Amino acid sequence: MEQLHNIGTQLDWIVLIIYMITMLLFGSYFAKYNKDTNDFFFGGRRFSWWLIAMSIVATGISSHSFVKYSAMGFKYGFSSSMSYMNDWFFVPLFMFGWLPIIIYSRIRSIPEYFEKRFSPFARFLVTILQLLYLIGYVGIGFLTMGKAIMPLMPEYFTILGFQIHVTLMGLIWATALITGVYITFGGQTAVIFTDLVQGTMLLIAGLLVFFLGISYVGGLDSFWGLLPTSWKLPFAGFNSPAEFNSVGTFWEDAIAGSVGFLFMNMGLIMRFMAAKNVHEGRKAAAANVLFMLPISAIVVGGAGWVAKAISIMNPNIIPPNINPDSVFVVVANILTGPGVFGFVVAAIAAALMSTVSTLVNAASAIYVNDVDRPIRIWLKKLRRSERLPEKKAMLVARVSTIILTLMGVFAVYAFVSYPTIYQAHAFFHATLTPPLMVAIFFGAFWKKFTPAGLITTVIGGISLMLLGNRFPYELIRPIAHGTPYDPVHPYTYMSALYNLIVCVSLAVLTTIFQKQLRKLSNKIIDSKSHFIMYPIIGFTALVFIIDVLVAVLKLETFSLEFLMCLTILASFFVALISTHYVKYDSERQIEGLTIWSIHKAKEIYKGRKVNERDGEKVRVHWKLIKDDNEDIVNFSKKDMNKMAAEVGDFVYLSDARKYLGGLKSVHSVYGEPHNEEGIVYIRKRHLEHGLFVEGKILEAEKEM
Amino acid sequence: MLSFFDTWLPFIYLYVGGGIFFIFGLYLIRKTKALDMRLKHHRFWWKVLIFGYFYFMAIHAFLIIAALYL
Repeated sequence: MEQLHNIGTQLDWIVLIIYMITMLLFGSYFAKYNKDTNDFFFGGRRFSWWLIAMSIVATGISSHSFVKYSAMGFKYGFSSSMSYMNDWFFVPLFMFGWLPIIIYSRIRSIPEYFEKRFSPFARFLVTILQLLYLIGYVGIGFLTMGKAIMPLMPEYFTILGFQIHVTLMGLIWATALITGVYITFGGQTAVIFTDLVQGTMLLIAGLLVFFLGISYVGGLDSFWGLLPTSWKLPFAGFNSPAEFNSVGTFWEDAIAGSVGFLFMNMGLIMRFMAAKNVHEGRKAAAANVLFMLPISAIVVGGAGWVAKAISIMNPNIIPPNINPDSVFVVVANILTGPGVFGFVVAAIAAALMSTVSTLVNAASAIYVNDVDRPIRIWLKKLRRSERLPEKKAMLVARVSTIILTLMGVFAVYAFVSYPTIYQAHAFFHATLTPPLMVAIFFGAFWKKFTPAGLITTVIGGISLMLLGNRFPYELIRPIAHGTPYDPVHPYTYMSALYNLIVCVSLAVLTTIFQKQLRKLSNKIIDSKSHFIMYPIIGFTALVFIIDVLVAVLKLETFSLEFLMCLTILASFFVALISTHYVKYDSERQIEGLTIWSIHKAKEIYKGRKVNERDGEKVRVHWKLIKDDNEDIVNFSKKDMNKMAAEVGDFVYLSDARKYLGGLKSVHSVYGEPHNEEGIVYIRKRHLEHGLFVEGKILEAEKEM
Repeated sequence: MLSFFDTWLPFIYLYVGGGIFFIFGLYLIRKTKALDMRLKHHRFWWKVLIFGYFYFMAIHAFLIIAALYL
């Protein structure tokens, strides 16, 4: 494949640099809204649905999409849109299950949920998986960024007589440096607001390239007529070719990918946690999946589609052996003039930066909550009930951001061997998503699911997945729906189905046989032969290490049958060990933490009975009360009646200017009413946090 | 010549396979009362959820028909 260089003009570079600097300054401006780690990570939980939806667009479509979907659009046509149009199946469980659970349980990270629902060891396992998932995602983001910018660069620079060759990894290191600065100081509020601008710019840039392309080939009729029928179909072939097919995409993307994105992607979850309430989060999710994703499918794939039409019309303009991952940049350069091309590339590069920033911010949130804090508690430098002083917590957050950015760059080396970003990303999803997906799904939706089930799913599941990776022909082919076997990257997509089957099987079997496992554990306790557990633990650890070595080093020392028997036995032992050692209260630890007790979750969140009466929003002027600084606000009796609110209910108070999207807002509690209609009494803390402006009207609504 | 494997089978597989997960989700949120039909805004969301499934199905069906016959 041909690697292009030196695309674009000097003017494009000027536009690109100005755009990037503007975005950096814009993001830095919002750093003033970071009063504490809650603001840094969750933007103070105050934003409107449209701001969250737009932010998700910038995150969702920028990460890898322009490069990878243009590449697939160029190679396969409209079927590149498959991944954007298959996300609805899990939306009910997200909107009414996972979203309220994570909001009402007041968790700050997904691993924290697993400690509450299961055990500290479950949290530890999920933390490792989550960090791997996020760092891997950051790696994909950096790789994409490098590939997107590469065609613009010269082959080498000459500085002080030294010739420096421009390499992909060199570019990635440079972009990582800029991204690190941006996220380290900006935080979540900066990310959300820059996303608003970047999301809009992305949509404009993508649609601009698409419509210019249609005009270039002579209009819509001509465009439609140029493309062969197979290119116009919205789906790839059912089971071929190996690198892109419908059945593989269904399991890897519609199932594993959708759940990975909606339920596990801490970056996205933090966006929803930044919404002012659950209802607003639902609106953001619906708007995103129903409207923004189909538009995004055109935005990200359109360049590839028009590139194909141009290549059919005039094969000399777009080289047939072009690197597919360069298609977007090449076609944008052909269709736009100097300066505009710079804007298009800047929009994409800046948005890629935003995606990576989101993920690094999310990984940092997990580090602060699930690594740093437990270690401090373990070292007895912090009590379980205590919080780290905010200044120190912010420092940890920022330092971890830098370290995680570096780890993201190292992760690029794992994906760089794949021919396209699309395949690298598919491999990543198919491998890392299934154990976490099963853990979250069964944890949140099946109240009988126990810590033993979860731990066996993760440890036993990963062992069996490693065997699938080592023996794909024997283990994955029978369920591969006839997709061809590619010996270099075998069953990149269908491995998702195999991985899901082994994880679900272990989760279900361990949960169903929980009573028997408990009996066996009790027998060991009663017979005072507790020492028997040590060789069992040793054997299990040994089998896990053997599976890792067999998969990583491609060893041929043991037969598949032998390894399979060992791994199944070890999985049984994992279930027994976790039943034996992990303390679990099946009544208390599901309260408010599964879909079966959402109402209880609301009550726990509020601390009293929930008021579900429908009320109106009211507009009020504010008056500062200086006598105390309690977290209560007082409305008139009449206003309280309009809102159907009672003393002790939760209230959301925001600047009435809708375009602010909740930037100037606070959550509080209704205090005793007064008689001044149209006035709300607020305290100093509300003024500091909400940054309300003198003379500006506020809007109030009852939350629950 | 495009076969059934290239045209309608992926569509059927997606909406039957995905539909199983979708219907299971709907059933679970109703059964657990996470979606409470006594609340007005929950009734609204119920309609949106069902609409979403058929909305994507209609878009995909339209695109296949357009590719084959337009």
